Amino acid sequence: MIIIDDVHFAYDGIYPALRGVSLQIDSGERVAIVGANGAGKTTLVKHMNGLLRPQQGRVFVNGRDASKLSVAELARTVGLVWQNPDHQLFLDTVEKEITFGLRNLGYGPEDTRARCERTMSILGLTDLANRSPFSLSGGERKRVALASVLATEPQVLALDEPTIGQDAKQKENLSNLLMELNANGCAVICVTHDIEFVIEHFPRTIAMSEGLIIADGQTNSVLTNDRVIEICSLSTPELTQASQALNQRFPEVSPRLTLVKELEDAIIKIFGGV
Amino acid sequence: MPLVEFVDFSFKYLGSDNLALRKIDLRIDEGEYIVITGPSGCGKTTLCRAINGLVPQFHRGYIAGHVYVDGHDTRESRVAELARVAGLMFQNPANQLVTLNVAKEIAFGPENLGVEPDKIRARVEELIETLHLEHLREKHPHEMSGGQQQMVAMAATLALEPKILVADEPTSNLDPKSAESLLAILSDLNRDGMTLVLVEHRLDLVSRNATRLVLMDKGSIVADGPPRKVLSLPICEEIGIGIPKATQVYKHLKRNGCVLSRVPLTGEELAISVEEACNK
Amino acid sequence: MSFLEVFQYTRQESVIHNLDPRAKLVISICLAGISLMFTDIIPMVLMICFLIPLIAAAKSLKRWATSMRGLLPLLLFIIVFNTLLSTTEYPFSHSIGLSLRLVALMTSFSLFFLTVHPDELSQALIQMGIRFEFAFAMSMAMRYVPTLGQEAYAIMDAQRARGVELDKGNMLKRIRNIVPIIVPLIIVSIRRALSIAESMESRGFGASEKRTYMETLSFRKRDWGVVFISLLGLVILIHFRFFFSLPEWVSWGLPF
Repeated sequence: MIIIDDVHFAYDGIYPALRGVSLQIDSGERVAIVGANGAGKTTLVKHMNGLLRPQQGRVFVNGRDASKLSVAELARTVGLVWQNPDHQLFLDTVEKEITFGLRNLGYGPEDTRARCERTMSILGLTDLANRSPFSLSGGERKRVALASVLATEPQVLALDEPTIGQDAKQKENLSNLLMELNANGCAVICVTHDIEFVIEHFPRTIAMSEGLIIADGQTNSVLTNDRVIEICSLSTPELTQASQALNQRFPEVSPRLTLVKELEDAIIKIFGGV
Repeated sequence: MPLVEFVDFSFKYLGSDNLALRKIDLRIDEGEYIVITGPSGCGKTTLCRAINGLVPQFHRGYIAGHVYVDGHDTRESRVAELARVAGLMFQNPANQLVTLNVAKEIAFGPENLGVEPDKIRARVEELIETLHLEHLREKHPHEMSGGQQQMVAMAATLALEPKILVADEPTSNLDPKSAESLLAILSDLNRDGMTLVLVEHRLDLVSRNATRLVLMDKGSIVADGPPRKVLSLPICEEIGIGIPKATQVYKHLKRNGCVLSRVPLTGEELAISVEEACNK
Repeated sequence: MSFLEVFQYTRQESVIHNLDPRAKLVISICLAGISLMFTDIIPMVLMICFLIPLIAAAKSLKRWATSMRGLLPLLLFIIVFNTLLSTTEYPFSHSIGLSLRLVALMTSFSLFFLTVHPDELSQALIQMGIRFEFAFAMSMAMRYVPTLGQEAYAIMDAQRARGVELDKGNMLKRIRNIVPIIVPLIIVSIRRALSIAESMESRGFGASEKRTYMETLSFRKRDWGVVFISLLGLVILIHFRFFFSLPEWVSWGLPF
């Protein structure tokens, strides 16, 4: 789906942001990208839809060389959802906001209408269709921004810090939506600091530091690896801390557990239950 | 006399249909460390604004009831006067830095209040030292990371020597490491006697040091008490807040008939409780 | 735009940096005034020879040189066009004089902008009687310009990802394409302004009539000295320029 091959990129040609990054993301995957600020996460994602072009190395999207495609063409395959919805909302109704991208990307009027209505109903925006985005709450604006990208039904959806400022319920709604999209074959890429969100919903994690990929693999092995945590200045997941503390007292407990269920089972076992 | 007292206080923003705060009764005493949490739009931010008079002085609207801060009624005192009592830290660090260097930034508040220059200089140097800001001295705010900006914003708030520090989600735009160190400093401040009100989602990081956890939903306070007690209530799941994972494990175990002696807030505490239960 | 670098403050420890900004303002204006009194090549060369050591004293010679290199295309443009269009007797010579004058003027003002921190500038304005609110608004504008720039880039990225093609199409289309950039920029800026106002209010902005200042500028002996010498130089040169007939070599020029 997306192949990134030894990509180098430096802002203004002098501030290195990516220093030789290679990875492959297949259709239907759920991948989290984690790392400190300035590690190159957002820079990497911007290469996937052509907002940035590699200064060295190559990017392939759907088997086609991305350097030969415009951002608008790439955007039909790779949809990017930004952290701040206010950076993209500018029209006077929610409906116009959602159809804006569709028309730009060359969908016909019939198609545009159908896609817009479908997306609004999925995201629960139908009642707000004629409201001005500026009169909505922060959470609702975030949904409108997401809808404007989802309407194009991209094959890859990349989200930048989607959980910032979201409460537990909103996070749950977001993750349900992402799971549903993913079940229908859309690959989901998420750039985030929210380690707990990653553990619960993303099987694969890419950890970055200073423009390099430090680890790329199964989430529960990447995020419980002390060295990766140290290098990428991440924090150890809450339950891994618990399992490490338990491991010191009960060596039979693995120090690398991540989920509530795993801990629960381990503790019941300690108490001699089944 | 309590430091802050909400008496049957309700507030509705101009142009809004819903009450942002409804019938709040809340008493904050000196030296407390109160964490406020709740779903988006529950009124946390409005509550913070009401403590330093931004509500109703800066944000106008319908008011009922009163808020007394160190004896001043916030309806009658200007925000600038209340600034000496209650310091507010906001979510977005970049919007709190209005000058081009750290010393000027810290001096901004005391200068506004007309403090003598010698005293300002002494305060500035003291804060730069205690919050370890020396290396940022000559940096332009936009050259600093979010965590560094928020530290400077904290120093600038503390420069007014407030009796109570109110921080409205100060960590939400920070990376985990910066968030942890900021929260550690806040808890140190409280240990040294500062009264603290903190709005925070990451309860696993703050519950252990907090003296009280206040839960809000739809403009009302729905639970208020020691963190361990509040977090074990079923209402936490009902309104949807992020309970620490260790506490979740405790709750699951309890449902399966396995009761630990106390409610754990961190992984370490969970392990200790399990060990104690085993030894019995 | 690298020639503008010479107007950007650089932090240094130098004799010039340590002068009071008001004294530096006087020097800069006097130097610029002198540069404007002459157009011939020789006085301009002398002027530049006098200015370079001052820039060197401000430890900014390198930056000045880069800026002047950036200015070169503009100077060549002036020389070519002016030579072709000028009606003077020796158009080429005259054009050289003009472009040297531009260099002298820029260098004169750069002495001020290179060495005065924006905060110092606003403090100087306050002490010259400008209201605090106005001076502060100016320094705050400086503070938020980079932030606004970052925001504009983020918005451009967001809209390009939605298929807005900023660099394609005819003039009309391009102008229309500015709307999706400008509207969010304005909205975001208004939100930001509100939250800045809230934070300033919480820190006692406008609290008391007797606002104090941690650092105030004080005019020292050397500042007075600099002001005196600058004004004296200006007066003497005005005197020579307008009331004496200058020796011939001063108005020497190239014969074409």
